[in-house]
Amino acid sequence: MDLDNPEQQPQSQVQVKFVTRDPEISVPTAPILVPSNLKRLGLSQVVNHLLNSEKPIPFDFLIDGAYLRTTLDSYIAENGLSSESVITLEYVRAAVPPKFLTSFQHDDWVSSVAASTSTQNRDSVILSGSYDGIARVWNLSGEVLCEGAGHQSAIKSVKWIDGDHFVTSSMDRSLRIWRYTSSSAVDASLKPVAEYIGHRSTVESLAVNAAAKHILSAGADGKVGLWSSVPKESPDAPVVDLPARTKKRKLAQTGPKVVQYGALGMLQSHTEPVSGVAFAPQDSTVAYSVSWDHTIRTWDLTTLALVDTKTTQHPLVSLCSLKTLNILACGSSARHIVLHDPRTSAAGVSAATLRGHSNAVVGLSANPANEWQLASAGHDGTVRVWDVRASSSGNLFTINRESDGVASNEKVFDVEWSSVGIVSGGEDKRVQINATPRE
Amino acid sequence: MAKSNIKKRKASSREEVVHSDSEDDFQTGLLNGAINNEDEESDEENHSSSEDEEADEFPEVAAASDEEEIDSDEVPSSSEEAGEKSGDDDEEEDEKDEEEDAEVDEYGRKTVLDSAGNLRYIYPEVDTGYASDDSDREEMNTIGNIDLSLYDEYPHVGYDINGKKIMRPAKGKALDALLDTIEVPKGWTGMLDKNTGGDLQLTREELEILRKIQMDEVPVDGYDPYTPTIEWFTSKTEIMPLSAAPEPKRRFVPSKHEAKRVMKIVRAIREGRIVPNKPKEPEKPAFYDIWANEVPREDHIMHIPAPKLPPPTHDESYNPPEEYLPTEEEKKEWEENDSEDRAKDYLPRKYNALRLVPGYDKFINERFERCLDLYLAPRVRRNKLNIDPESLLPKLPSPQDLRPFPTTTATIYKGHQGRVRTLNVDPTGVWLATGGDDGTVRVWEILTGREVWKVKLSEDETVNCVKWRPTKESAILAAAVGDDLYFLVPPIFDPETEIESKRLLDHGFGTAANVQQDPTKKTPPGKWSKPMDKLVEQGVPVMVTVKMTIKHIAWHRRGDYVATTSPEGQNRAVAIHMLSKHTSQSPFRKSKGIIQRAEFHPFRPILFVATQRYVRSYDLAKQELIRTLQPGARWISSFDVHSGGDNIIVGSYDKRLLWHDLELSTKPYRTLRYHEKAIRAVKYHQGGLPLFVSASDDGTIQVFHGKVFADMMENPLIVPLKILKGHKVTQALGVLDVDWHPRECWLFSAGADGTARLWN
Repeated sequence: MDLDNPEQQPQSQVQVKFVTRDPEISVPTAPILVPSNLKRLGLSQVVNHLLNSEKPIPFDFLIDGAYLRTTLDSYIAENGLSSESVITLEYVRAAVPPKFLTSFQHDDWVSSVAASTSTQNRDSVILSGSYDGIARVWNLSGEVLCEGAGHQSAIKSVKWIDGDHFVTSSMDRSLRIWRYTSSSAVDASLKPVAEYIGHRSTVESLAVNAAAKHILSAGADGKVGLWSSVPKESPDAPVVDLPARTKKRKLAQTGPKVVQYGALGMLQSHTEPVSGVAFAPQDSTVAYSVSWDHTIRTWDLTTLALVDTKTTQHPLVSLCSLKTLNILACGSSARHIVLHDPRTSAAGVSAATLRGHSNAVVGLSANPANEWQLASAGHDGTVRVWDVRASSSGNLFTINRESDGVASNEKVFDVEWSSVGIVSGGEDKRVQINATPRE
Repeated sequence: MAKSNIKKRKASSREEVVHSDSEDDFQTGLLNGAINNEDEESDEENHSSSEDEEADEFPEVAAASDEEEIDSDEVPSSSEEAGEKSGDDDEEEDEKDEEEDAEVDEYGRKTVLDSAGNLRYIYPEVDTGYASDDSDREEMNTIGNIDLSLYDEYPHVGYDINGKKIMRPAKGKALDALLDTIEVPKGWTGMLDKNTGGDLQLTREELEILRKIQMDEVPVDGYDPYTPTIEWFTSKTEIMPLSAAPEPKRRFVPSKHEAKRVMKIVRAIREGRIVPNKPKEPEKPAFYDIWANEVPREDHIMHIPAPKLPPPTHDESYNPPEEYLPTEEEKKEWEENDSEDRAKDYLPRKYNALRLVPGYDKFINERFERCLDLYLAPRVRRNKLNIDPESLLPKLPSPQDLRPFPTTTATIYKGHQGRVRTLNVDPTGVWLATGGDDGTVRVWEILTGREVWKVKLSEDETVNCVKWRPTKESAILAAAVGDDLYFLVPPIFDPETEIESKRLLDHGFGTAANVQQDPTKKTPPGKWSKPMDKLVEQGVPVMVTVKMTIKHIAWHRRGDYVATTSPEGQNRAVAIHMLSKHTSQSPFRKSKGIIQRAEFHPFRPILFVATQRYVRSYDLAKQELIRTLQPGARWISSFDVHSGGDNIIVGSYDKRLLWHDLELSTKPYRTLRYHEKAIRAVKYHQGGLPLFVSASDDGTIQVFHGKVFADMMENPLIVPLKILKGHKVTQALGVLDVDWHPRECWLFSAGADGTARLWN
């Protein structure tokens, strides 16, 4: 309070209560008087003063689900509050705007990206799936460590299973498990381990639960596939009475012969293409799927049964579950992200709606470091960062494509927020990495 | 005073002569007093003398007047007698000549016997005693007012009073006349005396009279207008007056006469003959008031009082506050401006006193202009429609309540070179097929806009129509390119579907041969064959060749029949191809005009065929015409059948979009004219959403809400929702085709600008 100018009596003061959900930086919650003309910076100084921290931490302040961007005075005036009442200010570490790091040029549209977590003996690498049907592994300096060709059509989704394996899905209706081995930083090899067959149309999206050794796939045929991440535990591939393929097709089948396996189960209930799947964060036997048919369905993976169906207003095209909050974020073709609490029994209850994209939201990824934040990729050519606490404030940051000389409104197809940063790929044939420095 | 005395004497002498009846005397005096003012005094005396006897008696008016007449006859005046005598004079004179010798009697008259022997008196000539001189008169010409020239032939010029000729006065010789002219005698006038015929000469006196008349003087000689006044009566009071008689008693005794008159009036009032203070009868006015009985009436409905002039403001005052006075610049500007351009007609001026204000010189102008205003600007009462304009609008729900409907471009499908002619979404709703002017058919991933497959069917001909087979178990795309109808199986589906589709297509080759062997039948409209190997490899197993350019394809819902439309084809314009047997037939024997399009009913065996003006529906089972719709459009471009089967929308090249309710009428239920240019395509949403669109050459797509109610009594509700703009108009072509996603509220449009778009 006395930071500004002790001599000068502030014109008016308001009672505020500082609360936080982060125990590390908590301060006493008793209401204190602060000058009402303070903005974010002043309030941040107050909190730092209360914390007695040596190095000041920048804070952001949330009031009623929105970031405080004006003075307390004008906030009170705008919302018609009484200056006598105690204002509860939730303070959070201020998010640092992501910085463009690098981008990797591909031959074709990048449909999917995934970043591996770095371990002691290995730097994190970035896996990208492209519409040319090739999965590539990149190191952060932009070199292709290895390429995996084998899909007969465009790769739609890639996901790391663990540091050594990843799974890809393609428009050729199949999934592939790959083994990634890297002897050194520049030397690595890829080997397809297994091919999973069972979908009758494009496999749009994948979800991996390494602990349960399960893979979920979303098919455009309206089916959700449950696969084992260990090929040996998978059943045999269904026998299809395949006709003799034309010569050309045979030639197209490159790479080593891959053993085909079938699905642990095909969950069929959606009436339209399934666009996103996710495991429940706490319970590996529960899965969620979203589809163009407007529904979010909850599946019990042990019995392969449909548990719950929630119908929303719009076709849903992406899904991501926020782990600690147990909230499902669903991107829709109607240009917004709907936050659903899957536990509520009432059908179709949306917790909040994040609006800001100007086209379909096709990729979602939660911030691994901050449970409240998520990144979204939209067909409007932007990746946006959101804070679910401040659902009415709009997005925190907007990341545009950094491709030079190309129209900036090219679609972004996928985003993944990993320890590397925000990795996104899109129609501009690039994987773009935006570093998000830790607070 | 002297005169009054004389009169008095006269009066008293008369009293003696006349009868002593006092009543009569009173009346005579009264009458004389009224006629002669001279006798006023004597009358009064008469009154005073008679008043003693009858103070209370009032005389009868009528009786008195009778007696008066008698009295006057009794005393004839001498002048009357004289008149009578003079009247007889003429008779006497006539007889004078005959009876000259008669003797004169004692009266001075002559007694003569007339022819009858009767005695006759001749009176001597009366000497009137006039001092008149008749000598002039005798010489007077008595011809009267006759022109003297009539007497030119005669020696006389007229006759005197005795009838004797008056001879023309002797005229002198010419020398005399000359002398006369030289010596103008005194009083010569040069005029002819009418009476004598001689020169008219005026005497000195006559000339003097003339002169006086001319000079405005009194013509009588010797008249002095300025004679001193003779003071007959003086205002002086004489010390020794001629008569010192005291004031007579009557001067101060109440008048009995007046009392009588008063009594008479009083009696009359008592008897009621005179009504005092009788209310006066109102005078009849000379002019009657035509508006006297005017009843105030209501103003006529059309009466409009003249608008009032605004009251004067401060700056119109003679002594306005300083702030109202114009500055020099304003004054200058005002003076420089034309009177029409001035904001005000006047310039505020200040006068220190009201008496210094000059006369207002523009008063007449102002009044005149006001009159002109009132007269030249007729005031008309406008009949205001007291209707809330909102209430006239149909009660349409707000578009916000009718969501979802497409609003923005979500994806642009780029790749076609040239126009994108046609597009169609596959029944699973995942793939979009387009066909364009470059002869290619392309299949796209809907959301991402990725082209997943393409095949070039023709080098120089456009793909006019693509349509997916409407069943989910197969993936067959029919494409019309020029005269050919291709059946494509894009290799993007799973092998089972692909095999099934190819099997369906190839199945008919065996049966088709059998049919063709029948030579009696006419050649079918379509010839089924396998395309080139290259195309077969690419996934085009079968093609049908029709003789005419195919413009439109319609699948039957079961997927076994395809109807193609070739507008140039006359009676073979519509051909129905059977997929399972590879046969083709044309259902119509006669052409009914240029056929634009043919569509199957969504669930009944009915075929709708649109010619340029009409849409006909045919029962395929009974093979008969059911109904002819008359949209009223000049050239139908496209139509679509609602999924309920009872409604049709028709788009026309003359910008009209027509909604037909088949149950209602053959005329359109609604005509929507919102496009600026020709409508190219219309489409219902077939997946349950109450939406339809029209695409036009003006580059816009208009989205409508069109709800068809299950209740037959309720008419469809049509609400315009959104105009989608995005396609560029190239070569006067805008949006060429539209299609809906089978379930979602996603709209696809094919533009002449080489792109297809997804709207959501």
